[in-house]
Amino acid sequence: MLDRIPLGARFLAPLLVLVGLVVAYPLGYSLWLSLTSRTITQRETEFVGLDQYTGLLSDGEFGTAMRNTLVFVVLAVTIELVLGLLLALALQRQERVRNLTRSFLLTPMFVTPIAVGLMFRFLLNQQLGAIPQLLDVFGITIDFFGSSLALITIVFIDVWQWTPFMVLLLLAGLESLPRQPFEAARIDGASTWMTFRRVTLPLLRPVIGIAVLLRALDAFKIFEYVFATTRGGPGDATITAQFEIYRTGFQFFRLAEAAAMAFVLVGIVLLLSIALYRLLMRQEPATR
Amino acid sequence: MMTSARRLLIALACLLVAFPYAWVVLSSFKTGDDLNEPSKVVFEPTLDNWSEIADGGVFQSAWTSLLVAAVTVGISLVVGTLGAYAISRFRTGGAATRFGILLSQLMPPAVLVVPLFLVAFDLNLRDTVIAVIASHLTFVLPVVTWFLIGFFDAVPKAYEEQAMVDGHGRFGAFRRVVLPQVRGGLVAAGIFAFVLSWNDLFYALILAGGNTTTLPVQIASYNTFRGVELGAMSAAILVSVVPVLIVSFFVQRRLVRGLSGGGLKS
Repeated sequence: MLDRIPLGARFLAPLLVLVGLVVAYPLGYSLWLSLTSRTITQRETEFVGLDQYTGLLSDGEFGTAMRNTLVFVVLAVTIELVLGLLLALALQRQERVRNLTRSFLLTPMFVTPIAVGLMFRFLLNQQLGAIPQLLDVFGITIDFFGSSLALITIVFIDVWQWTPFMVLLLLAGLESLPRQPFEAARIDGASTWMTFRRVTLPLLRPVIGIAVLLRALDAFKIFEYVFATTRGGPGDATITAQFEIYRTGFQFFRLAEAAAMAFVLVGIVLLLSIALYRLLMRQEPATR
Repeated sequence: MMTSARRLLIALACLLVAFPYAWVVLSSFKTGDDLNEPSKVVFEPTLDNWSEIADGGVFQSAWTSLLVAAVTVGISLVVGTLGAYAISRFRTGGAATRFGILLSQLMPPAVLVVPLFLVAFDLNLRDTVIAVIASHLTFVLPVVTWFLIGFFDAVPKAYEEQAMVDGHGRFGAFRRVVLPQVRGGLVAAGIFAFVLSWNDLFYALILAGGNTTTLPVQIASYNTFRGVELGAMSAAILVSVVPVLIVSFFVQRRLVRGLSGGGLKS
């Protein structure tokens, strides 16, 4: 009886059942919740249709959270890509203590994000932080968690932790490139910059695509750094989508509203990842 | 890039990575007064912070984190290996399955946490490791599967065909010939998955509490501005970070193929 089912289907079945149980079912449950008025305290729920969603349209704080998240993702991923590429190029030609340097530079991506957030919260703290004290010697005073800089500070916390991820993928990409185009460029007498722009970058494009896509999708989930440093403040300068959903659902107990917010976030992430995928994975090499 | 500029860049990067580590290590051995002077590098070291966290239940939390991560990884490896092999070799479900795995990997935790919280409440599983394990499976399982597809893709089909000619069944060929080929990938996926579960704050913060506090939640609970807490927090961070950094050295080389789903080799 069991033999009639193809081996592939039998192998896949446990995975499908488990993913259905822990991902698909909660997803459906959540979608239904977002159409009700459910809060933690009130068990009798009422079907309200799209009211939660239309309510979000006029919710200024949610709008701010989405905008902050977008700014954060774009800035963090861009800086990480540029720094990651520079470091990968430098590491590629390094000769001495190669493996140790690489391994060490990759360590930040393994540290629990809440610890990274807290380390920087205290390192950058106005009164007892090491970095403001150091800057004070040079007569520089920066309020890292003031309303104008807080989001940027959080971007740089992310850069500290996740540039290594870019380095890891880009370095592997660089080392798997064919040698001939570089030989040809050298024989043609191309400058380092020209070789980089006309040979390295176009060849590396698919790898850059994968790296940016993976990093951007992960960056949308930002929560720990905000939780550790500013809790959304000052004002609502650093409220991000995931943090706002956490607050709405588990501090203000408005579960249905939190579920609706989450679906808006999923929709935006999905649209952006499709757009990004199209943009980055186009086959023709950049010509200019 | 010029050699000197290259060296400077690498040295600067190493310094920036090392600085927070050095600060945490120093802070974990400082007294309350010394903590108020962050630039003080020479001081009388104390073990007070370490005995404080030992009494404060950090090792209990570490044990909970270890238990959650071990069970999550165990389940994910068994189920993920079978699924990844089916997807890689038999194209079961076609492109839709592959895409589905990728999609569940990018699902923001915020969308799953509300229903998981309610289900855990209804089943009386709140504040148990079961709720946390179930929530960790939501991201670990797709990652492990995605990771292993890349490794299975790299095993030449001829190996299995030869094994079947030699009289092994399909399952025998899988177990005796294919699995040993991806052993390195299995170890890397297991360690990577372990780190993901061990490091999670979001789900554990919402679903667990009291006796089932995980290590990241415990670390977050030291988040006050009192100096003594800063020392204890630093010690707790080291308990969490040191083991992970040690194991990370063994997986880094294999991460590339896994993360890119086989799109990239190293």
